[in-house]
Amino acid sequence: MIWLLLLLASCTGKTDTDQPKKMAVIVSTLNNPWFVVLAEGAAAEAKRLGYEAKIFDSQNNPALEADHFENAIVSGFGAILLNPTDSEGSIVNVAKAKEAGVPVFCMDREVNASDVATSQILSDNYSGCVAIGEYFVQTMNRRGSYVEILGMVGDNNTWNRSKGFHSVVDRYPGLKMVAQQSGDFDRNKAMDVLESILQAHPDIDAVFCGNDAMALGAYQALVSAGKVQIVKVFGFDGADDVMTSIRDRKIRATGLQSPQTMAKTAAQFADQWLNGKRDFAQRIPVAVELITQANIADYETPDKP
Amino acid sequence: MNKGMKYGIGLALVGLIGYNSVYLRPLSEVRAAGALGKFDPARYAETFWTNKLLPTGAERAVELSSLLAQLKTDKNKAFDAHAHALGIGNIRYFLVKGEGVVSTVGETDVTVQLTTGATARLATEYIYSNAARDASGLIQITEFSNTADLNSVAAELNDIIRKRVVPGLRSDAKPGRKIRFVGAVELNRAHLRVGELSVIPIQVF
Repeated sequence: MIWLLLLLASCTGKTDTDQPKKMAVIVSTLNNPWFVVLAEGAAAEAKRLGYEAKIFDSQNNPALEADHFENAIVSGFGAILLNPTDSEGSIVNVAKAKEAGVPVFCMDREVNASDVATSQILSDNYSGCVAIGEYFVQTMNRRGSYVEILGMVGDNNTWNRSKGFHSVVDRYPGLKMVAQQSGDFDRNKAMDVLESILQAHPDIDAVFCGNDAMALGAYQALVSAGKVQIVKVFGFDGADDVMTSIRDRKIRATGLQSPQTMAKTAAQFADQWLNGKRDFAQRIPVAVELITQANIADYETPDKP
Repeated sequence: MNKGMKYGIGLALVGLIGYNSVYLRPLSEVRAAGALGKFDPARYAETFWTNKLLPTGAERAVELSSLLAQLKTDKNKAFDAHAHALGIGNIRYFLVKGEGVVSTVGETDVTVQLTTGATARLATEYIYSNAARDASGLIQITEFSNTADLNSVAAELNDIIRKRVVPGLRSDAKPGRKIRFVGAVELNRAHLRVGELSVIPIQVF
């Protein structure tokens, strides 16, 4: 099958100068505003650089993602800017593109292989949560009990965030984690999870959530329990709702990611590759900025793609 | 050739092929061989600290007072000239040096009044960022194929600072005492704040 694709790709005149230069943006889902910003940012930068850009929505379905790869390869796209559906399941798709001579630049989510994608531009989840962990320790004055609500347990980002946070917090014996459960990155699930945990642990002092949607769900659970003045909530993402909550002194802190930076960099790297550059770092971390009630005023005007 | 001899030769051949087809090695030897190719963050950090950062740090570092003045007059020029980071984005790191007088010794830092009048807080407790790893610009991102190794190097360097730099700083720092230092500073290029400058100490004299 791959040979047939290669043959078809070679027949499409990918190097034909009459053909417009094209980049494919294959994104895990467009049913989430964060990924819409990522996909549209990548397409906009590709267009700015003089390419035709087309966005493919994988709808969180690896099989559909595979179809998109086949389409992109046979349609003569010069490069693929990818937000993978699955760190493991997407490897085969990226490998197919590599075999066909089409470079793939991963954005935000990585594939668990170091020899298939040309480069992977990823949020520095670990370091971002190291910064949150340090602020957490300072805010808690190194003492208290807390709950951690994880993202999806099969997602690399979930564990990179958790590991970064614990690399700091676990050094302080006065801080006790009384429960750690997954909220699947979902606001309602996180609210349910925390409501249940509060039954067993009504005296917690803080909640650390693996993303901002879950932080909002956790905050809602604390409102219902009448504990918002006591329990401190920490999130991750820099979602507009949480930035507003920090400004309103409801949520304590978050880690601001930059999908715009990842999207632009992926498109620029693809352009550089198409112009002959070959020495790319396999993984490029993109800084995550700590946002707290002390520095939120610096971020009054959110960056737009 | 009689049947017995044929069977004998056949058996000898099978035995010879079988013997040369299977090799037995102790499990410990196989594990050790596998470990040879594995990245060792502690070893990498030790080599970087001893052979690169300490010998060249003071020479490479920018005077903190001079940096603060440059950040006021031309922020972008100061970042372009002196900042480093293995990743991309607004968070950048500077290798700095300075001298002054210890003004206060706190629970988590030592405050130094620089000779130019500015103050710097040398961290003694919160030593967690990528500052020590990135500030010199001597480590390249292309040396690493995965982010876990990158993170481990930062953690190992921070451990070295906790074990080798902080104890001496804590015991020697007394209000009024003169001090010289080389350290690493994290600053946000887009949202710059220099009022509460925290320095991760690398060398203290």
